[in-house]
Order: sequence, then structure tokens, then C-alpha cells
Amino acid sequence: MRKSQTTRRQVLLAAAVSGAAVAVPAVLRGQSSVLKITTWGGKWGEIMKGKVLPAFEQEFKCSVEADQAFPYLPKLQASPKTDPLYDVLHSNSNEQWQAVELGLVERKITAKEVPNIADVFPYAVSDKIVGVSIFTSAVGLGFRTDKGLVPPTSWNDLAAPTLAGQRGGYLIPVNSLGQAHLMMLGRIHGKGFEDLDAAYKALEALKPIKLFDFTGQMEKALLSAEVTMGVLHDSGIFRYDGQNQPIEFAAPKEGVLALEQVLNVTPGSKVKELAFAYIDYMLRPQVQKELAEGVWYSPSNKKVRLEPKYDGKLFNTEAKVAQLLQVPWQWYNAKKDEIDARVQRILKG
Amino acid sequence: MASNTAGRVSPVSAQTRRGRKATAVGWLIWPALLLFALFFLLPLGVLGVMAFLSGNPVNAPAVHFTLRHFQRFFADDLYPEALWATLRIGFLTTLAALLLGYPLAHLMARAHSRIAHALLLMAVIAPMLTGIVVRTFAWMTLLQDRGVINTTLVALGVTERPLKLMYNEFGTIVALTHIYVPFMVLTLAGVIGRVDERLEDAARSLGATRWQAFREVTLPLSLPGILAGSLLVFALSISAYVTPVLMGGTDVLTLPMLIYQQVSSSFNPNFAGALGLILLAVSLTLVIAYNKVLAGLAGEEVS
Repeated sequence: MRKSQTTRRQVLLAAAVSGAAVAVPAVLRGQSSVLKITTWGGKWGEIMKGKVLPAFEQEFKCSVEADQAFPYLPKLQASPKTDPLYDVLHSNSNEQWQAVELGLVERKITAKEVPNIADVFPYAVSDKIVGVSIFTSAVGLGFRTDKGLVPPTSWNDLAAPTLAGQRGGYLIPVNSLGQAHLMMLGRIHGKGFEDLDAAYKALEALKPIKLFDFTGQMEKALLSAEVTMGVLHDSGIFRYDGQNQPIEFAAPKEGVLALEQVLNVTPGSKVKELAFAYIDYMLRPQVQKELAEGVWYSPSNKKVRLEPKYDGKLFNTEAKVAQLLQVPWQWYNAKKDEIDARVQRILKG
Repeated sequence: MASNTAGRVSPVSAQTRRGRKATAVGWLIWPALLLFALFFLLPLGVLGVMAFLSGNPVNAPAVHFTLRHFQRFFADDLYPEALWATLRIGFLTTLAALLLGYPLAHLMARAHSRIAHALLLMAVIAPMLTGIVVRTFAWMTLLQDRGVINTTLVALGVTERPLKLMYNEFGTIVALTHIYVPFMVLTLAGVIGRVDERLEDAARSLGATRWQAFREVTLPLSLPGILAGSLLVFALSISAYVTPVLMGGTDVLTLPMLIYQQVSSSFNPNFAGALGLILLAVSLTLVIAYNKVLAGLAGEEVS
């Protein structure tokens, strides 16, 4: 009887085969495209990571690495342009303008690269936008309904003497709502968004004012009645819908400011086609509807049909989006250092 | 005879063995040195270089050396004022932490019961188990206009309007003191614990009052702890960002706030580097001066 014996060669062969079996999926995974994006956290992040991104990965046979740790632009700035940290930058409009000045993102995206752009409202690709705006919020006034306030109708209502110390704004150097509000003051009290002297004077009249560095803090301050009226975007109020909170949003008669959620591609991206496909995907009506109703953002795609509850409040018709004011970020960014120093001196003390 | 020879160790071989042991221990320090070089020296070097460059060399094609970021600092009063505010807040926080922390550290060091010592230690360490943001928000809940303190005072009729407890330097210092006092207490408690209690007893047996014994014996001997604790709290306070932003409102503008602004929203890492370098240089000068003064005082006391 011949004794079965395992030779050294057989052992090595078996090891090589099993090693290859283990390694092949990893190698294949390594070969599949990876899209690096930035995106917000909170409810937005939950929907993105829970539904939107997995569906995109499945459809486009890729994996998406989403960075939710703000601020994104300094990180992109620190990476080489030829091998950028992100393929798609999601940020507000002011930062996209900074990014284009630094050569970190493309100036324009057209329907040629992103077909769904053909269906967006004009503001989403206007000359005030770098890249494409996929959603917008309307910045107006949030206020308490239980403090005997007359609902505001004008931006000037924020300067009412009775609101001294109870009105809220933003740390202008770090917050785009604060920056847009400053330009709005120039428009209302002076010759236009770029009338800084008029804006500074109007800002001085808002003292004493409580300042916050991001909208979440303003929401918290309104909910706790630390402020009774403040500059806020509509989604910062609407998201508490159904929670019986005594807060409301008012759209001032002078117009509301657009707070755009902008997507753009980095010039050095190694997966540019996939990056454009992602932007196109984010502009699809069903994706837009999912996110718009999840976080109360107004969709850019004209073809989106929202449920009545959202349809009545969000800016999703030609008439409604006509009320949105887009500020000149390129001009503002060029003067930012000078403005920062001046407003900090005005508001200090 | 043979055992005698074997037991005797020649001085040369003992020295060699000691040398080998020292070399082996020396190798153990390398990971720490590597970490120090990677996460302290390298970023500091980058900061130092960036402060003197016209742009970001990673992305900008033509970058040159310049002093314009430092000129900008001195050209506008806003920046030196922010530096002064940063140092003032650091100094007042350190002073408050020392005044609050010393008695507690003394109590901890002199607690004879192990349970009492453990309880005090837990009380000091417990707040450190939550993050700085959480602790700052807790202070906001207490000190804001509609906070616990103001609501109670207004409800009791003690005051008609809310007191200005936050959105100013006062609120910032209160929160910073609370956040950093454990560092002072833990540093001091270790040093005071090593001061021989019998020295105080001897002073008292020679006629000194309790206060005199403390002032003449314990306090001078605990100066190294005061020095170390103060430096730690001062360094942490002048580099704080979250607490001044949340508690300071429009009244407080510190250099770390400006540095963050430059990096996160002005995208000017070069000016941020210059601000960081200035803060580092000024605080190092102050720390060295403080060290010398305190060392001199300790020398005088001892002599």
C-alpha cells in the first residue's frame, strides 16, 4: 500500500493558490474607482451615507470616500493640485469662489459634462456661481413666536431697539451667512451689496448683538430664547416642523439671500468622469427629492415634485426662486481681510 | 581560588555591561523622540517656514521669502490688541486656577484618609472625562442671559435684567479656569505631597503660627509645583479656541481665534503661521522670564 505523502512542492502550491484566492478580491477592489468627496454631517450626512451614496456606489461600481470633517478647503489647499485630496468639493458658494481663485476647482460645469444641468433653475449656474448649486436655502430672519414680537417683514426689523441684546448674528470672518448679511445691509442702507460704508454703519446700529460661529448655534440660541430674533436660513427653522417649537421663519420684503450648496470638480482629479457622474446623480429628481424633504433644502432641479408640506415652503418654482438674492462673493473675498479687520473692530466691546 | 576568580568582575567588563545597558535603554527613547520630531518639530518647522513665505509652496508656482505677514501684524492695532487679550486671559486664568487649585491640592496632599484622598482625586479628575466643548456648553447653560443663574436671579427679584456673565472676558476666564484647574491641582498635589509635614510641625513647635508655617515653609517648598502648574495652565489658556469663541461673544478676540479664521475661512496659512510664531515667541519669552523670577525667589527663600 502506498502511503499518501504531502510534498513540500504541494504545500507551496496550496499556499500560493489560497493566497491568490484571498488576494484577488482585494486587488479587484483596489482596481475599482474610488471617488473622494466632501459632504455635510447631521441629518444630511445620515441620508447620504444611509441611502444616497450606497445607491451611487452600486450603480457606478465604485466606492465613495466622504469627508465630513469641516473645514474642507484648507485640507484641499494642503494637497497637490495634481493629486488632490478630493475629486468633488461640496461647500457653500463663498468657499467655491475662494477655491477657484486658488486654482483648486473648475470655474464652470456645463450640461455637456453633467446632463441634468439642463434642468436646473438659472440661479444654480448663474455667473454668481462657481460649479453648480444643487440645493439652496433662503437666508432671512428666524424669530420666537412666544415673546410678543410682531413677525418681521424687513431686514430693518432686526435693528429694533426692543431687541437690544436679544438679536443674533454671526462672527462675520468665519460665517458666510454673516458675510452675506453684511452685504445685504449695504444693499438696503446704501447703493448696493458693495457699499461697505453703509453696511458698517448699519452693523454698528445692531449692537448689542449676540454672535455665533455657525447656524447650529443660532438655532440652539433661538430654541432656548437666548435670542428672540436672528439671521438664519429657512431650513434651520423648518427642520423643527412638527416638534411644537415656538419659532418661525420670515422672508424679508427686500429679498432673501441664497445659501447655495455647491458641487464642483477638482482639476487634478484622476476620476473626473466619475466626479461629473456623481454631480449628475445628485441632480437627479429622485435624489433631489429625497434630500430636499429630508433636510428642507430647496432643490435646484426644476423637475422635482415635492410633497405638499414641502412644496408650500421651499423655493421650487420660477416665481419663488426669483426672490433669491445672490451676493458677489468674488468681490467680497478680494476684500475679506480688510472687511474682517473692520467688522471685528466695530463689533468688539 | 577558582570561585574567587569567577566571582570577581573586572572594572572594564562591568563598564562595558553598563554601557550596553545604557545603549539598550537609549533605544527605548527613540519612539518617543520620533513622535516628538514628527508631531512637534516638523509642524513647528513648517509653521516657521510658512510664516516667511509669500504663498503655499504645495500649490503656488512662484513662492518667495517675505516679511509682509509680520508687517501686517504690526500695521493694524487689531492684532497686537488680540495678542494682549490672549496673554491677559492666560494670566488671569492661571491666577484664578492657582488661587482655587492650591487649597484643594494642599487638602489632597495632606489628606490622611485614603478614601478622602481618592474622593478628592475623583472630584478633580471627573470633569476631565468630558470634552472641552461639553464643559463649555455646560457653562453657557449656566451663565447665558436665559441661563440657570440669571433666570434664578431675575425670578427671585435680585436683579431686573440678566447680569452680563458671559459674552465677555469674565465668562471666558470662568470657563477656562474650570476647564484647566485640574492640571494645576494635580501638578501641585504631587509637589506638596513630597514636602515633609514634619518641617511644618518643627516650625510650629518653634513658635510659628499655622499661617507662618505655611508661608515660610510649605509655600516656598511648593514653588516648583506652582511654576509647573502655572506654565501648564498658561500654555493651555493662551492656545484655547473653543471656549473663547463660545463664551467670549463680541468682546473677546484672541490670537488662536484669528489663527483659525486665517486657516479656515481666509485660507491664508502664511499669515496664520506668522500669528502662531509671534504667539509662540512672546509666550516663550514670558515663560522664561517667569521661570527665572520664580527660580530666583525659590533661591532667596532657601538661602
